[in-house]
Amino acid sequence: MRERIIMPLLVIVAATLAAAMAASQSAPPTLPDIPNPKVVVEAPEIGKFGGTYIVSSISDPRTFNPIVAQETSSTGVTGAIFEGLVEQNYLTGEIEPGLAESWTTSPDGRTWTFTLRQGVRWTDGTPLTMDDVLFSLEAVFTDGVQTSTVDLLTIEDKPIRWRKVDDRRIAFMTDKPVGTFLRLIGSLDIIPKHKLGDALAKGGAEFNKTYGIDTPPREIVGTGLFILQSYVPGQRVTLLRNPNYWKVDRQGNRLPYLTRYVILIVPNLEAARLKFLAKETDLYSARAREFAEFKQGEQAGNYTIHDGPETFSSEFLVFNQNPTGVAPPKLTWFQDVRFRRALNYAIDRKTIAEQVYAGRASPAWGPESTGNTLYYNPKLPQYPYDTGRAQQLLAEAGYQKGSEGLLRDAQGNIVEFIISTNAGNTDREAIGNIVRQDFTKLGIRVTFAPEAFNTLVGKLTGTFKWEAVIIGLTGGIEPVTGRNVWLSSGSLHMWWPKQEKPATEWEVEIDRLFERATAEINQNRRRQLYFQYQEVVATQVPMMFFTNPKTQPAVRNTLGNIKLGLQGVPGELETLYQKTTSRP
Amino acid sequence: MIRHIVRRMLQLIPMLLGITVMSFVIIQLSPGDFLAEIRLNPIVSQETVDRMRTNFGLDQPLHVQYLRWLTNIVRGDFGYSFAYQVPVLWLVRSRLFNTLLLNIIALIVAWAIGIPIGIHAATHQYSWSDNLLSLFSYVGISTPTFFSGLLLLFVAFKTGWLPIGGMTSLDYDLFPWYGKAFDVARHLVIPVMVLGVLAVAGLTRQMRANLLEVLRQDYVKTARAKGLAERVVVNKHAVRNAINPLITIFGFELGGLLSGSAILEVVIGWPGLGQLILDAVVRKDLYVVMGSLVIGGVTLVLGNLIADILLAYSDPRIRYD
Amino acid sequence: MTEAVGDQGSGISHGPGEERQAATSSAQPPETGPLTRPQPGRLPGTQPRTPLQLAWRQLRRHRLALLGGVVLVIFYVMALVADFLAPYPLDFSDRERFYHPPAALHLRDATGEWHLRPFVYATRLVDPGLRTFEADRSRGYPVRFFVRGEPYRLLWLVPTRVHLFGVDDPARIFLMGSDGFGRDVFTRIVYGSRISLIVGLLVVAVTIPIGMVYGGIAGYFGGRVDNLMMRVAEVIIAFPSFYLLLTLSAVLPATVGCATRFYLIIVILSSIGWAGFARLIRGYVLALKQFEFVLAAKAMGQGDLRIILRHVLPNTSSLVIIVATLTIPSAILGESALSFLGLGVREPCSSWGNLLSAGANLINLSRSPWLLIPGLFIVATVVAFNFLGDGLRDALDPRMRTG
Repeated sequence: MRERIIMPLLVIVAATLAAAMAASQSAPPTLPDIPNPKVVVEAPEIGKFGGTYIVSSISDPRTFNPIVAQETSSTGVTGAIFEGLVEQNYLTGEIEPGLAESWTTSPDGRTWTFTLRQGVRWTDGTPLTMDDVLFSLEAVFTDGVQTSTVDLLTIEDKPIRWRKVDDRRIAFMTDKPVGTFLRLIGSLDIIPKHKLGDALAKGGAEFNKTYGIDTPPREIVGTGLFILQSYVPGQRVTLLRNPNYWKVDRQGNRLPYLTRYVILIVPNLEAARLKFLAKETDLYSARAREFAEFKQGEQAGNYTIHDGPETFSSEFLVFNQNPTGVAPPKLTWFQDVRFRRALNYAIDRKTIAEQVYAGRASPAWGPESTGNTLYYNPKLPQYPYDTGRAQQLLAEAGYQKGSEGLLRDAQGNIVEFIISTNAGNTDREAIGNIVRQDFTKLGIRVTFAPEAFNTLVGKLTGTFKWEAVIIGLTGGIEPVTGRNVWLSSGSLHMWWPKQEKPATEWEVEIDRLFERATAEINQNRRRQLYFQYQEVVATQVPMMFFTNPKTQPAVRNTLGNIKLGLQGVPGELETLYQKTTSRP
Repeated sequence: MIRHIVRRMLQLIPMLLGITVMSFVIIQLSPGDFLAEIRLNPIVSQETVDRMRTNFGLDQPLHVQYLRWLTNIVRGDFGYSFAYQVPVLWLVRSRLFNTLLLNIIALIVAWAIGIPIGIHAATHQYSWSDNLLSLFSYVGISTPTFFSGLLLLFVAFKTGWLPIGGMTSLDYDLFPWYGKAFDVARHLVIPVMVLGVLAVAGLTRQMRANLLEVLRQDYVKTARAKGLAERVVVNKHAVRNAINPLITIFGFELGGLLSGSAILEVVIGWPGLGQLILDAVVRKDLYVVMGSLVIGGVTLVLGNLIADILLAYSDPRIRYD
Repeated sequence: MTEAVGDQGSGISHGPGEERQAATSSAQPPETGPLTRPQPGRLPGTQPRTPLQLAWRQLRRHRLALLGGVVLVIFYVMALVADFLAPYPLDFSDRERFYHPPAALHLRDATGEWHLRPFVYATRLVDPGLRTFEADRSRGYPVRFFVRGEPYRLLWLVPTRVHLFGVDDPARIFLMGSDGFGRDVFTRIVYGSRISLIVGLLVVAVTIPIGMVYGGIAGYFGGRVDNLMMRVAEVIIAFPSFYLLLTLSAVLPATVGCATRFYLIIVILSSIGWAGFARLIRGYVLALKQFEFVLAAKAMGQGDLRIILRHVLPNTSSLVIIVATLTIPSAILGESALSFLGLGVREPCSSWGNLLSAGANLINLSRSPWLLIPGLFIVATVVAFNFLGDGLRDALDPRMRTG
């Protein structure tokens, strides 16, 4: 999914009006200018106003244009300034109203109608109108605009269609029902037409450059929690509270509580860690290996380190099954499911979890993380570490260990291959070392050769000349957003991308499951389809997943409203507050 | 002299052409391009990637890309960064000052310390203080900068005396001018120490050797024989002559002002050119790389040129006409 | 490094006698005159000693230089007999004992009894996060010397299984602790010295011959030739080797061994690095060619090439030795910087640079400081080379001779 949704820190908890009424047992709060503000009920406490919240980021934002923004370093900033029609609840992953206060679906599931919230204003005082929504859609679909949102809003090669119903309502139409439509439309950030209209009129290339990091901060106008105050390259981004925001807490206080939100730019995780321990920042996403040490320092450091859930990202080993990339006999081994299953048994996931993640990772058997509570299939076939079993399976498949201790296939070829990964990623390098030793025990001659990231990707997506690779992918909640990976025609279908027609039966099966899941509106039935796809992947082992590492956010104790969400996000920006506002 | 300067500036042109052509080819030699990261994003389609390639002009043949870049340079347009979508010049300008500030201060500090130490070492050759100073400066230059930077950060963290990396504090903008100056000065201590130690060690050694040589020459002996105080001999006559050869080093250092601190900047988070250029190279942000190459090449040559000019002024025997 | 000196080269020297060989190089043919300006009243012939003796005398007075020499001898010997010194094979890893602190050697056991032979206890991982281990004090494992272990060839010749020391399983003797994979840091340092110590020699072996010839020609002929050659050299000096390096690491095939690959990169790098040295030599030669012995050779009608090779370049020998002793340490530092950027020697090979850059982070600094020991080796080597270089400079420069 879009980073905005992967990073629920910036995503907002809310509840329906009815829930709010039930909670407060009183009339729904209103604001002078906004008749129907969104009431945030899930925050445990009513906060105090004022205070600064400081986090760190290890790279500079690359743009302040939310349509163009790709990396977390950019979306981390734009997410506090711009918003979509709907939002994802950071605790549950469910979709909730955003700039649209409500929506309806037609019975056939092909038309979705959204009603815009009244009274919302851009931070320069201009009212938010339906024209802004239409403009944002236009921007996404303008030729030359660099955005991945266009891929989300294009369903089976057909862009979604839309129609302005009246000044407050817009209808979206698709040819087929789309089960995940709400999530997709949530990836569209609404941008101000009165500020960006001229740039878009000059074409996509010009639009890509507007709202760049060289823009004077006051030019950047959003509807979100914060207003950009300043950006100092290589040092920090400072944001100030939006005094006219459209959400309130249970008591009707206008959110957010925080006066200032600062993103410090630090060169690396080491520096981020030091800054946190020196109490210069309020949040640090500790690495697994640091958990125990941080636990010890809680008292002295005045912070709490949380035992967070697993992330959605996964690290895996994949063998090249693409005939343009490798030739027999290697191709034959890699395409042989018995070979892949045997090797999967030889991977010592416990050692990986202990050495690489200091014990804070659970073994992974399938493509969806344990942390994805909505769609993770807990009943997958497992491949517990068992070198004997692996050897037995290899023997059954015709692979024999020769007298010199090397494994040979049925034709007598020595089994050897190169495992690559991107150099500099210490976790993957460590995993690679362990896996190399594991496979060596089977008599396989393995070379482990990390390469530059660019080179590796060039091979994976361009030349296809590689044998085995350890790499990771970021995941979203809805597996269908990973269609590029799982559809046999996908460009990231690692082991054999962009197939004309699926090479194997099980790939046909995955294609079919994805197609059905995409169109399935009922979440339970969609879950069943996702379960099936995970099972196929776990049985056929095109990728060998290692572990799902846990998150361990360390949070300063001065912060209020901390409640861990998906992927270990400690709280939401709108309700976080400083209990003691020593800092201005 | 002026003719010499003009000639050197003209020589710069083919040199820069050579450097840029070579780098352009080399950057393109390795597989992969700027879009690598985007390609690995599961939600981005092949079409979107292709569209970006066209936008960036990466689908053009190499020589077309290069020539287009070159003609733009002549018009003062260094192109746009792929990653940031802002002009390369803006990116460089936003960090240039910080790198210069750090390096110039380190340079001043190094010269202010290195020369007196060198004089001391030469006038006390093989004394315990000479040996101790040698040992100290050698350990200094023998420690990799990434390591000593990290150690000093650790010390700063443990003691709380100094800020941990960066260049300004959070509330920098609220400070009066002297508060700002003090704030930056505090942040400068660690990087200047790391860079300074490197330069001090080199300068000390050079100064020591030069002075030792001068002190053995006849005019110094004559001066001594005339009964001048040793201090006068050293300070008035010998030191002046011993410093002359260092001017060339000074020129080198000027040339290295922009690149000398790159790794250190990355380690301690100094918001200079180092991190920017390293990222650009790794990510193949083509025009940022090319732009910084040109700027780096120009400073290098300018540094050498300034050294030539200084040398001509300080040593009447050298003439360039 | 002796190779660099020209006609008396005897190959790259690895071990003992480093400084002696360096010093002999100055014992050049009779023309070894004053190096820059002729010094009236200080003729070499007035001393009753050979230049070698003079240099040695001078060097002996430079205590730090001697110390540096001794340290280097020890290190190079260590590199030569690495497999004998190392208790474990290079790729040995103990999956149960990662981040293990340096082995505690005991003389007194749990019952209070004293032993002559030091012993260690077997340990067990308690907490992977805190990196804590618990010793089983019920049984001690004595340190044995000249134990049988992994087979290897001593000095690449003698097949043997004998290692200097070791302990019985399941105890481990991690003299300098273990790293994140449970590999013995001492073993990796000892093996790493092979790469780290040869890097400098390799660089010198490539840069110096090229630099001498190029700089010699430019300086000797002067004028247009000089101008053109120096402009070319300047392009190379100004060329950002960093980019070249990044690219090379991408272009070189992944199948060559991690060490081979690194040597390739070093060779290519130093084939750029000669330019700075060439400029130095050229300046020197420019001054040298005004001297009588060159003019005399010219007057005798000797060919230019012959003059350059026989008369001019040999006179730069002391400069070359000094530059060599100073280039080697900078190459070692360069290797560590490359490793820091992820471009140096790659896993599973080890070098001091990649050991240090893998260990140099703040968690290790506070939790597993022994992972920074490779840094001490780097610093010690570089300091030693610098001292030696300094001492040699003083010793080889005739003007410096006081006795």
